[in-house]
Amino acid sequence: MKSLRVLRIVLWALVLVVGAGAAYLFLSARNAPVDAGPAVYATPFTLIDQDGNEVTEADFLGKPSAWFYGFTHCPDVCPTTLSEMSALLEALGPDADRLQAVFVSIDPERDDVATMKDYVEYFDDRIVGLTGSLENVSAMAKARYIFFEKVPLEGGDYTMEHSASVHLADAGGSFFGTLDGEEPFDTRLQKLRRLIE
Amino acid sequence: MKKLLLVIATLVVMPAAIAHDFDAGSIYIDHPMVEEAPPGARVLGGYVSLHNQGAEDDRLVAIESTAAEKVEMHRSVVTDGIARMTPLTEGIELPAGEMVWLGSDGIHAMFIGPDKRYVAGDEIPATLVFEKAGRIDVTFKVEERATTRAPGHGDHAQ
Ligand SMILES: [Cu+2]
Repeated sequence: MKSLRVLRIVLWALVLVVGAGAAYLFLSARNAPVDAGPAVYATPFTLIDQDGNEVTEADFLGKPSAWFYGFTHCPDVCPTTLSEMSALLEALGPDADRLQAVFVSIDPERDDVATMKDYVEYFDDRIVGLTGSLENVSAMAKARYIFFEKVPLEGGDYTMEHSASVHLADAGGSFFGTLDGEEPFDTRLQKLRRLIE
Repeated sequence: MKKLLLVIATLVVMPAAIAHDFDAGSIYIDHPMVEEAPPGARVLGGYVSLHNQGAEDDRLVAIESTAAEKVEMHRSVVTDGIARMTPLTEGIELPAGEMVWLGSDGIHAMFIGPDKRYVAGDEIPATLVFEKAGRIDVTFKVEERATTRAPGHGDHAQ
């Protein structure tokens, strides 16, 4: 009987330890975006914007930014994300000036400067569109833990698989979090507000 | 879900004269539409709902259009944060008595290489090819993109 009581105490102690651990993990995960992580968004890159200007990481530091990596031969996920980005900027009102939204082509072989200009400006002329050499785009993606891969389609065509979320960076280039297309619009808006406040 | 409600609302509200549907015997084809894409976009997403009112299962095996180099049926999914698009090479199954909606679960008709820029108000001729119901000519209406909804990206509420 006594051993059963000891066992019960031990089990309750375990519950407490596990609970405290879970609470710690939960709280630290919640706070994670606030703590400045490694400034992966300050890693050097050189790409071309939609007006044909060469830009580097320096052009996007000093202001919080929201990055989406996609391609123009994309029928739904990319146009939806960009039109929602435009709606988010609209919802931020004048505060949208404190955020830089960027669309990076992970299909630079097809997305030239002119295509990018037409594409981003259709959604919102506040969104910057970047393309460049495949080598430079790949280097940027690698530094920022962004996945993309070419997938062949029938008849010699191909499509791209790519990270679907919008990635946020603070003014110093530290990763701040992501916006997920599946989460409510207001949740995404609040994340942006927290980023720029 | 929102889009489905919209479809239902449209069916209820829209007078027969301007309703946009096609009857192919056992298959009822409702509101084929394409979302307007940015200038220079080489792909257009097409959506339509198909109601198999017959007693037999059928299958949408192909979509043809003289307005594009080709039309393929695809499914876009986001899994583990990665956006992927897979061709539906077997076509789209249309079980007897059921409604299948291209536009839910990322399923879409992808018009590849349109012959010109299509804007809201334009119409794109196409032929839906069914295994049993045969070939049916339809018109995809080009419509403006709604900003905060996610077409072909699941029917979750926004
Ligand atoms: Cu597709």
